[in-house]
Amino acid sequence: MKRICLVCQNVDCKSRGSEEIMKELQQRVADQGLTDLEVKPYLCFGACQEGPNVVLYPEKSWYAGVKKEDLDDIMKHIAGGPHVTRLDTIDTSLKELIYQLLETGVF
Amino acid sequence: MEGILFPRGVVEEREGLKEYSSRGGYEALEKALKQLSSERVLQEVADSGLKGRGGAGFPTGKKWAFTAECPETPHYVVLNGGEDEPGSKKDRLLMENLPHLVLEGVILTAYAVRASKAYLYINAAYDEATRSMGDALAEAKQAAYCGERIAGSDFSLEILLTPAPSNYVAGEDTAALEVIEEKKPLPRQKPPFPATAGLFGKPTAMNNVETLANVPPIIARGAKWYRTFGTPESPGTMIFSLNDEVKRPGIYELPFGTALRYLIEECGGGTRDGKRIKAILLGGPSSAFLSADQIDLPLDHNSVRAAGSSIGCGVVRVITEGSCIVEETLRIAEFFAAESCGQCPACRMETNMLAAMLKKVQQGQGGAPLLDQFNKVISFNRGKGFCNLIHMPGPPIESALKLFRSDFEFHLAHGRCPQN
Repeated sequence: MKRICLVCQNVDCKSRGSEEIMKELQQRVADQGLTDLEVKPYLCFGACQEGPNVVLYPEKSWYAGVKKEDLDDIMKHIAGGPHVTRLDTIDTSLKELIYQLLETGVF
Repeated sequence: MEGILFPRGVVEEREGLKEYSSRGGYEALEKALKQLSSERVLQEVADSGLKGRGGAGFPTGKKWAFTAECPETPHYVVLNGGEDEPGSKKDRLLMENLPHLVLEGVILTAYAVRASKAYLYINAAYDEATRSMGDALAEAKQAAYCGERIAGSDFSLEILLTPAPSNYVAGEDTAALEVIEEKKPLPRQKPPFPATAGLFGKPTAMNNVETLANVPPIIARGAKWYRTFGTPESPGTMIFSLNDEVKRPGIYELPFGTALRYLIEECGGGTRDGKRIKAILLGGPSSAFLSADQIDLPLDHNSVRAAGSSIGCGVVRVITEGSCIVEETLRIAEFFAAESCGQCPACRMETNMLAAMLKKVQQGQGGAPLLDQFNKVISFNRGKGFCNLIHMPGPPIESALKLFRSDFEFHLAHGRCPQN
């Protein structure tokens, strides 16, 4: 299965720049020739106040409040580097809910 | 049987002031202004046990008391004629054909809660209802039933018409208040409730059209008479809107407690083509589905609640064998996703997510555990959101999954209906 990087594109995340975040991630993934990973929009993760939200799957890494300056670290993680702990701020119960949905195929 | 709102059967034509007066119209108002204090009028309505007909079924007298007892002034009355519930046609019919009955109800309400201004908030798509209410207002003014010193009393009331945007959420009470205040139709966070802090922050009695149409008969003939209709907990009658799946769809006024079977079989003539009933959706798209064997359920608030559903605003949809519950449920979920005003993040997430999940089921994409995720998304968002819309897709989805799980499993596995 191809790895996916989901970037929320609902109203709040978008108002905080998630569209640019998604485009930038798509560009960088293409530039680095990472063919095993696809950057895709997502409906909503339900953490609107903490967006923009980016979720890596199947790794199950959820990055909240992502800014352009965080993308270097996220790209390093995608390429096999360390988890970006400072952006991992989301409540466990919400993570569980969303990960379960992703596991059942709701993308 | 004799009805309360339609004493001689459903009225097909508009009733003008002359016709309304000739059958005792505005006598309740004259009686109230000459013989009864505003407290007495409120008490009579409280004693009648009248409950709101817009969906929530809240006791009208209790709601009015919050407003009446509020020291803040002025007090307002808002007639909520937004009526955006799919399939509901009753408020429109009342405003089109019995405008004076509705108007007299508004004026009596204003008297009871000591309001000096009332707004008739009417769905902008209802041209005829708007015209009819506007004409009734002009006729009533001419006859001194509204305006300054009504019927020679000390009571004065100004009544204004406000068009309601035709989207679902604009019918929500606090969204309606925003519209009257010339803002966007976005629900407000509650509390405070409109009864104590409504229009322009002032105490506001807000009621559905059918609810207020019940007030003149209650005042004219008394709470005791009113209680000869219906059940002790749900006195009076309710107007039911029956959908096209029956032979005689339309509007039926029935006493509370009447069996659902009577409405569907006697009034509606049974299903079109004699098809067997698969499910019944009572109260509009935000209610839980009932199974066909619940057809003997008495139509009153308590019985319907005990059966896990809600009587809502009286919309009854009969779903026949051969219909796909997955498709029905998906349509409902997509309706709420489209109608969510979008201001509460949790509501956006829930309504969109549920619709997306049902789409997956319908198309046969996604794993079997997907069916167990619905109640998780619904529970996660419980108690969130400014208005009730966030809680609306839950009952139909959860009940459909419970009653017709095999339909969902088949769809998920094959991407099509088990019927086809």
